[in-house]
Order: sequence, then structure tokens, then C-alpha cells
Amino acid sequence: MGFGKYLVVRLLNALVVLTIVTLVMSALFVKVAEKDLENTIVQQVNAEFQSLQQQGKIPEDPDAWRAQRIAHYKEQYHLDKPYWWRVQYYFKNTLTFNFGKTKNPVFGSEKDVVAILKMAIPRTIQLFTTAQIIIITLGILLGVKAAQMVGSLFDRALSVIALVMSSIPMWWFGMIMLLIFSFKLGWFPSRAIPDPNLTGWAHIVDILKRMTLPVATIVIVSFGAWAWVIRNIMIGTMQEDFIMAARAKGVPERKVIYGHALRAAAPPVVTMVIMSLLASLGGAIITESVFTWPGMGRVYWIAIETNETNLIMGLTFVNVLLYLAGVIIADLAYGFLDPRVKVGASENI
Amino acid sequence: MRWVDFKESLSEFWSDFRRQKSGLLGLLLLFLFIFIAVAAPIITSPDIPERWQSFWLDNPKNVPPTWVNVFSGQTKAPHLIIEGENLQKLITKTDSGYVIEVEYINEYDVPPQDIVIKDLSGETTGGKPSITVIVKRPDNKEVTLIENYKFSGSLVLQLGTHPQVRDNLLKWIKSEGIYIDPLQEFQYKTLMDATKVIFGKLNENILENPEPLKGTYKFTILIKVPEGSSVSFDNAKVIFTGRTYGWLGTDFKGRDLLAGIIWGSRVSLVIGISVAVVSVLVGIFYGVTSAYLGGWSDELMMRFQEFMASIPSLPILILMGAYFGGHIKLWQIVVLLAIFGWVGIARVARSMALQIKEQTYIEAARVLGAGTGRIIFKHMVPQLLPYAFAQMALSVPGAVLSEASLSYLGLGDPTAVTWGQILHDAQVAGAAVNGYWWWVIPPGLAIALVGLTFVLIGTALDRVLNPRLRRL
Repeated sequence: MGFGKYLVVRLLNALVVLTIVTLVMSALFVKVAEKDLENTIVQQVNAEFQSLQQQGKIPEDPDAWRAQRIAHYKEQYHLDKPYWWRVQYYFKNTLTFNFGKTKNPVFGSEKDVVAILKMAIPRTIQLFTTAQIIIITLGILLGVKAAQMVGSLFDRALSVIALVMSSIPMWWFGMIMLLIFSFKLGWFPSRAIPDPNLTGWAHIVDILKRMTLPVATIVIVSFGAWAWVIRNIMIGTMQEDFIMAARAKGVPERKVIYGHALRAAAPPVVTMVIMSLLASLGGAIITESVFTWPGMGRVYWIAIETNETNLIMGLTFVNVLLYLAGVIIADLAYGFLDPRVKVGASENI
Repeated sequence: MRWVDFKESLSEFWSDFRRQKSGLLGLLLLFLFIFIAVAAPIITSPDIPERWQSFWLDNPKNVPPTWVNVFSGQTKAPHLIIEGENLQKLITKTDSGYVIEVEYINEYDVPPQDIVIKDLSGETTGGKPSITVIVKRPDNKEVTLIENYKFSGSLVLQLGTHPQVRDNLLKWIKSEGIYIDPLQEFQYKTLMDATKVIFGKLNENILENPEPLKGTYKFTILIKVPEGSSVSFDNAKVIFTGRTYGWLGTDFKGRDLLAGIIWGSRVSLVIGISVAVVSVLVGIFYGVTSAYLGGWSDELMMRFQEFMASIPSLPILILMGAYFGGHIKLWQIVVLLAIFGWVGIARVARSMALQIKEQTYIEAARVLGAGTGRIIFKHMVPQLLPYAFAQMALSVPGAVLSEASLSYLGLGDPTAVTWGQILHDAQVAGAAVNGYWWWVIPPGLAIALVGLTFVLIGTALDRVLNPRLRRL
């Protein structure tokens, strides 16, 4: 099976998964939204009735008027159609990025779901990508170092840190960071929304200050586990024959490690990088909430709290889409970096 | 497998495991947690879960643990309740009623928040009983805090905030010849910290900036009971509300956080272990079945696995929470977490099963006419059990974290005492903003410690049971 065919099969497969996920999501959301919409309609009709009352224009038959208004809104929200019709309606709209509008504005005055997503995604990327880059750099440096001196004090300390840190809830650590550095010492602001009055250099400094605590939280909680995994991969690679050969040839140790071993260890590391970047794109819902960072996770949380069905649908769809794209990219990167894998993987399809 | 074989392999496993120091530490921690969880009703009290949602009126609110005194230059009064036997000893009957004499040794820089006389119940057929409280201070001054305060039914008298007490204190200070700015008198009447004055040195600063007067205070509580009425002391309490409380302090409802943390360990362990066991077993059977069947069934099962893997689990869990009416019951959390938990394990189990499938004894079993179920259950799954045990231990922290996260978001079971719930309350009450560290740090540490326990056990098991990894 050639590379092209492999790619096509992989893409088709992802499309099928995407379709099914979207269908299931639609079925679920339509059910959740139903009750919520009914309540909204009753509220809207009540509000209309009250405003009519204030103007002294009370309809002759209030019950009939009410029933007529409710029917009108039901038609507008498609609640008069059967369940499956609504499911396929949502399904089609979602697949075509037609997410609609939210009931209440999110981020100031924005009501359009696509616009909200366009605002939130860059912010999440800004936060998590920065953190991820630091984590990867630290992870590789420390992991390689630990692999070089297996069993040493440094190696053990790193393992302990990795174990302890991976058991800590990131959002809890965020709370502690806020408690210490924001409320006790007052070094950093506790809210992530930047000051709109600042411009130029002051604005950049402001944003950096606001990013410090969340980035530090993410890095501190995650770098240990990363370093540990890289250490394990590196130990495996360092025992291979070609490393021995390189050393025997008299290649300097630095070059052996970073040039030969790390390059050989690249495929799993690259996959990990892509997957963790993707995982972070969805925004760690609670972490962003703790720091009120206005990214994807925060929007997700707002959407769920305020029952913004359209927004939840859009966010989930984009998340799944990004995830699937990432899986494909990771697979391709793996195949590209390590030709042996491609054959094996494609045989399984 | 015969019993003897089992015993032998067990002892062999144990001798291997014993060499893993981290594993032993994990095991020790696990036993500690199990002990705490099982003994929770004995260590604290068995009615904590029922009481957890209500206000704990007898306790101070938002106060740090008592041991902070060791680390700060200023000692703060701990919480003291005098009730039951101890109180009965202090009561003497007189002609017109009762006298209660309570001694309080104040050796703190910050005195109690309040002095509460609580749950005296009066039967009033003749006339209302009345209460008078006089304090004799270490400097030999006597102050009448409240005089002839009439009550009926159940009495709750908070001396620290009672207007009459403040009036009497101001009167006393004036009678001692200390000048009070008349313009500020009203402010003192409404805002002054009465206990700081009661326990303060008598000087010009007593209102603005009271210095603590250390020594023995004698509170005399006189209760006059008119004829025909009676007073019952059965449930009575005298509470010196502390500025600190217990080992872990209290939250905004006055709840003892130590009790909450101890009871929370039950939920954490039960959810963590049950989710891990269920999801690993499901994952292994799924993976093995998929590998063994092969062909189209394998294809179909793996597509479903991919589908499950690509659903973002936390949002869906949150959505489910909304669907279930805002709160997910504990058993529902277990089911939901298990539904999303088996996915990764199924993939690995499949790849391991693909190797096992090729071994000759599987083929032999098939040729001899063994059914699919028999081969999967009897021949293939047992091969994966070592991997399964390690995985179970390793997936506990994830489950504990997920439950805590859901509870933290306010979607957990509100009738259960869990660490996530405590942290949720802390976040809602702005504990971080107000610097209530004793409310935020311990639950998180507890979560991390449970996680660490199982990671230690899991990695040790992994090293013992999968010798391939031993060199790492």
C-alpha cells in the first residue's frame, strides 16, 4: 500500500468517525436543548405579555394570545418538528460550520458562535502553546540528562517529581498559585482579562504578567511526566547498536546524544508533542476557569453554565475536528520520520 | 490453577515486589487510606454526611487550624465548648434559681470571637426566667455584661454581638474614668469587638486597639427562675468561639474540614478503585475479543473504539451532568467514567492479544474445538492479567481526578462529602481571594496523595509483572 492510498484511507476513516460523533452529539444536544428552549419560550412570551400590559394593550383573550405566541416561537425554534428532524437539522448545520448564534452575548457583545470561536482559539493557543513549548524544552533537556545518568540522584529525583506532579490536579495547583502569588504576595494579577486602557509596550507587559501564573501552573504540573517519558524512550534508544557504533567511531558524546539518539527517538516524541498540543487546544476547561483565561475552555464552561446549546455544539465539533486532524498529522509524521512504521500501520488497515 | 500453584506464584510475586521500595511505600499509604476510610465514623462521628450540608452553628466560621499558633507570633484562642458533664459540675442551685460559674484562662494574644450561652430551655408558665452574666477579670474588676435578660423557650445568647453587652461595656469603661469621644460612641455601640474589650487591658486604647489581658476570667451566670417556671440544662452549652479550630480549621459554614477530608477519602477510594477495575476489565475483554475475532468484527470494534476515543470526555460528562438535572450521583459518575475509561486500554490489550493469538496453544485449543468464549476467557485474558493489574492501579488517579474535577465544577453528588465538593465550596466562597489556605490546600494534597499512592503501586507492579521494563 502506497503513501497516497494510506493517506486516503486514513482521511476517509477520520471523516466517518467525525460524522458519527457529530450525529451522536446532535442527538444528545437536541434532547438537552429541548427543555431549555421550552423554558426560554415561556419566559419570552411572559415578557411580551408584561410589556403589552404596561402599554395598556392587553389582548382580549390572554390564553389564546399566549398559545398563539408560544406556537409562533415553537415554529421559530423548530420545536414543532419531530425529534429526528431536529437531529438531522442540527447535524447538517454543524457539519457546514453553521453553528448559529448564542442567546446571550459572550465576550462583550459577540453572539455569533463562529466569531466567538475565532476569538477564543488564538487565546488558548497563546497560553497552551507557550506552556507546551517550555514543557517540551524542559522535558527533553531533563529527560536526556536523566537517561545519561540512570540511577543517579538526579534521575531518582526526577522520577519522584514526575510521579508526584502527575497526581496533582492542575486546577488545584492553579488555585494555590493564585493564593500565594496573587493574593498573598500580590506579584501577579488574578484575572487574565487584559487591561483595555494600556497600549503598546505596557500592553505587552500586562499580557505577559497575566500569562505568567497560568503558564507556570501548566509547566510545573506537566514537565515532570514529560521528562520521565523522554528519559524512558532515550534509555531504550541509547542501548541500540548504532549508538555503540557512533561512540566507537569517536563521535563526540553531545553529538551522539542529540544528533543520533534523539533523532532516532523522534517519532514517538513528535507524536506526543502533536497529541499534547491538540489536547491543550481544547483548553483545559477547569484550568482556564480558575484563571478566568478567556480561551476555548473558559468559553466551554460559560456555554455549559448558561445552556448555550449552539455554542457547545460548535466547540465540541471544532474540538473533535482538531483531534482527528491531529491524529492524522501525528500518524503521517510518524510514518515520515520512521519508514518502518508506515508499512506496519498500513497493513493493519 | 491449583491452590498450591497459586500460593507459590503469590509468594514469588511478593518476594519480587518486596524489593520495590516505592511499591512498598505505596502499599503503606494505601493501607493508611483504607484504614482512614473504614474508621471514618469512629475517628470523627457517624453523622457527618447528614450534617455536612447544614451550618455547624456551634463552630467558628472560616478560622485556621489551631497549630498555626506555633508558626505565628500571635497566639489565637482555640475553640472551647463546655457541655454535658463538664457543665453540670459548674451548676449550683440557689433559692431563686441557678448559678453557673465558668472559669476561662485567657493566655492568647487574640481572645475568642464570641462567648455563646446556648440551648438553655425555659418552661414558662409562671413568668419568664432571666439571665445575668458577670465577669470577674484578672485585674479584679467586675463587669456586668448583661442583666436580667428574659428568655423563654430555647436560649441562644451571643455575648460578643449583643447590644446590651456593648452598652454595659461602654458604661463600665466610662465609670473607670476613661474618656470616650461622644461622637464615636454610636460607632462603638454598633461595631466594637466586644470580646476584645472583655479580655483587654483597661487603658485608653481599650476601644481602639485593645491589648490582651492574660489570666483567669471568672464568668458568673445567674439564672433567676420565677415560681411556676423551670429551666432545663440538659442540652446547655457554653461556647468560647475560637479564632482557630481543630487540626484543619473550618469553612464558611463552620464545618470541621478535617472531618470532611476524612470522609472524602471514602468516596475517592471507592470511585477510584471501582472505575479502574471496571474500565480495565472492559478494556481488556474488548481488546482481546477484537483481536481474536479479527476481520470485519475487529474492524468494526476498532472503529467504535476510535469513535469513543475522539469524543472529548470531560465536556460530555459535564453535559451529562446538566442532563441529569445539574448533579450526577456517585454511581452515575462511576458508570460514566468507566464508559470513557476503557478506550485506551482496549487498544493496548488488542495489540498484546494479537501476539498471543499467534501462539500455538491457542491454535491447538481451537483445533480441539474450544469455543470463542472459552479461548478468550480461559486462554487469552489470563495472559493479560499482569498488565491489567498494573493498569488498574495506574488508572485510579485519573478516576479520582475526574470525580474531583466534576465535583469542583459543582456537578458532583451534593449529598456526598467529597474532596472535589470541598474545593468547589472553597472556590465559590472565594477562599483563595480571602487567603483561607487551610480550606484549599489539604483537599488538593489528599487528592494528590491518593494519586501518588496508586502510581507508586502501579509502577512497582509494572516493573515486577512486566520484567521487560525492569532495566528502566
